[in-house]
Amino acid sequence: MSSIRVNPNILPDLLSALAGTRQQQNTATIELATGSRINRPSDDPAGAAAMVANRDQTSEADSFLQSASSVSGLLQTADSTLSSVVTALTRAISLGVQGANGTLSAADRSDVASELSGIQQQLISLGNTSYQGEFIFSGTSTAQPFVADPTSSSGVTYTGNAGTNNVAAGPNYSLPINVPGSQIFSAAGADMFQAISDLIGALQSNTGIANAAGEVSKAFDHITGQRVFYGNALNQLQSQTNFLNSQKADLGAAANTISAADMATVATQLTQSQVAVSAELAAISRISQNSLFDYLK
Amino acid sequence: VSNLLATLTIGTGALAAEQGALDATANNVANVNTPGYTRKEAQFIENTPVVLGRLTFGTGVSLEKLQSVRDPILQLRIAQETGQQGDLNAQVAGMQQIETLFSGQNSGDIGVQISALFSSVSQLSTDPADVALRQGVLTAAGNLATTFRNTATNLSAQRSSLDLSMTRTVAQVNTLSQQIAKLNGQIITLENLHQDAAPLVDQRDVLINQLSGLIDVSQIKSDTGITLTTSNGAPLVADDKSFSLTTQLDPSGVQHIFSEGNDITTQIDSGSLSGLLAVRDHKIPTLLAGLDTLAAGLANAFNSANTAGSDLNGNPGGNFFVAPPVGSQGAAASLAVAITDPAQIAASSDGSAGSNGNLAAFSAIHDQNIIGGQTPSSYYGNLVFGVGNDVATASADLQSSQLVLQQLQDQRGSISGVSLDEEAAHMVEYQRAYEAAARVVDTVNQMMQTVIHMGTT
Repeated sequence: MSSIRVNPNILPDLLSALAGTRQQQNTATIELATGSRINRPSDDPAGAAAMVANRDQTSEADSFLQSASSVSGLLQTADSTLSSVVTALTRAISLGVQGANGTLSAADRSDVASELSGIQQQLISLGNTSYQGEFIFSGTSTAQPFVADPTSSSGVTYTGNAGTNNVAAGPNYSLPINVPGSQIFSAAGADMFQAISDLIGALQSNTGIANAAGEVSKAFDHITGQRVFYGNALNQLQSQTNFLNSQKADLGAAANTISAADMATVATQLTQSQVAVSAELAAISRISQNSLFDYLK
Repeated sequence: VSNLLATLTIGTGALAAEQGALDATANNVANVNTPGYTRKEAQFIENTPVVLGRLTFGTGVSLEKLQSVRDPILQLRIAQETGQQGDLNAQVAGMQQIETLFSGQNSGDIGVQISALFSSVSQLSTDPADVALRQGVLTAAGNLATTFRNTATNLSAQRSSLDLSMTRTVAQVNTLSQQIAKLNGQIITLENLHQDAAPLVDQRDVLINQLSGLIDVSQIKSDTGITLTTSNGAPLVADDKSFSLTTQLDPSGVQHIFSEGNDITTQIDSGSLSGLLAVRDHKIPTLLAGLDTLAAGLANAFNSANTAGSDLNGNPGGNFFVAPPVGSQGAAASLAVAITDPAQIAASSDGSAGSNGNLAAFSAIHDQNIIGGQTPSSYYGNLVFGVGNDVATASADLQSSQLVLQQLQDQRGSISGVSLDEEAAHMVEYQRAYEAAARVVDTVNQMMQTVIHMGTT
């Protein structure tokens, strides 16, 4: 026999082709269902490793955003507290000016002094403001920072510390989130409690009222200056939040590029594999239906 | 002597030969779907002619033999490729179960848990005295430790189940060796009696093929039969004797394979045993060692960070994780959080409760190249890459091996397979020849009648 003899039993070949096509069909179906072309590391080992990094960076960006949002709350509380302090001090200054013009009776001065005592109480309470259960002007201490103390010349003792905390709000970026109360309210030469206490004493003794009022003004200027820290920190956090959000969007886009299935292509593949399966099934059903035996009587 | 009787003998000889050939066809058709069946071809031979003076008279035809159409070299290549396929198949099957542990699709993934731990530290830094946030860090650390332990346990369980498969495969190898040895004996007996051993040879080819799918087999043919050894020379079958492989528990905790008292575990080059052993003794231990390095590196770094600060009560911090074993072996399987009280997280750098200064040391671990010169996350990423790459490579090799095997099977089919068309054609040929021979006999018969009645009328 001179012609090339072909393998008469092609069924195994057809079955293995069918299994291959069914595998393609399964892969396409899974990709369509999950929307991802990397459903196990072997689908794209390098892509799977890149997705580990991507997920980690995304999680990091998320936690920076969350930190920025909690810290913003703290900073805003501090800022609005300082705003109230400034308002109270403004009132104290105008009371000092009033007391210093020399036309007030002793009874009037006593009224002014007692109003100032009220302001002093209010300032102590503002200095002890807390956010989510923690005092915000106590440095890194958790103790109540300002305590009324008759033995102190200002009538108030600072029991916090001079520590500051930093919070990371980005890769290699962290910002200080507090100024110790001692630096804001009771700095040497600009001690607000001392200034108010001196003003009360001056009004009661009717001596050096103008000087004492000047002390309050100095404390006022100092606190206004300290308040800038919180405004700046809030601004920085805001721009950092914007940056993190755009970074997250970039990471999302990168994840898409790495692992998202191209739906149009996958859908086409699915259709193609379905057609191929039907064709292969038809072929299998036809083979060995006919042989020469069918044509012999 | 050219006489009618001689012609009659030629006719009846032809009838016998054609009928014998038709037997071959019938047998071929009957075995069209028998795995490993080798078709037979009828080989006719012209009988020795008789010379009478100047004339040479033919003496008809004989059916010399029914020749099995086989290609022994091709059979060898099929066996080799079957071994290759068995190896890759076992590797892919074993590794595919492992890679789901590293798929990152669910929260059980170590990479996700590492990120979650750093997130929880980051949250704590915004309010370091908050007990709920401190608890959050402990929970995240606990989840990470659990995931490490589960992953390591799963890998070990996978290893044990491969161990079991291996023991079963060795039992199968032994059964096949015994069957082949038995067939060898029968084939030798038949061949010594000059009888047709083809059906047994077919069966033996099928069994050798199956054996090659399990273990590497090299064949040496001799006059007395066939000798099978592994490629490193461990005997499996010698003629009608078989040699059993045994398994024995190694001090390392897995079964080793012995042949005639020698440990051949590391010498098996193909077949599913080779694939099982590759995953059991190479892939899984490598992965476990990687996980151990990662777990130990993280534990040590967190411990250094925690001992550098002070806790909520102003006391110096202790170990954060239970100290990993020296040399880090088994670190992943034993990773556990040492701290039980959230207050013991040493967030503070200045001793005061509200300080978060030391948490920066925790967060910094995220970006430090402390594990094999890589950050924890990228080290894990490399582990994932390694697992994925192993499966992808083995799958691709498996696919090409399947194609080669298919090609070889096609080739075998084109030589040895039964074609119904061909058999139908042969059937017609033999039938016609038989009819023609019958006519010859009939004609001789008539001529004899003529001779017998000569002179009676």
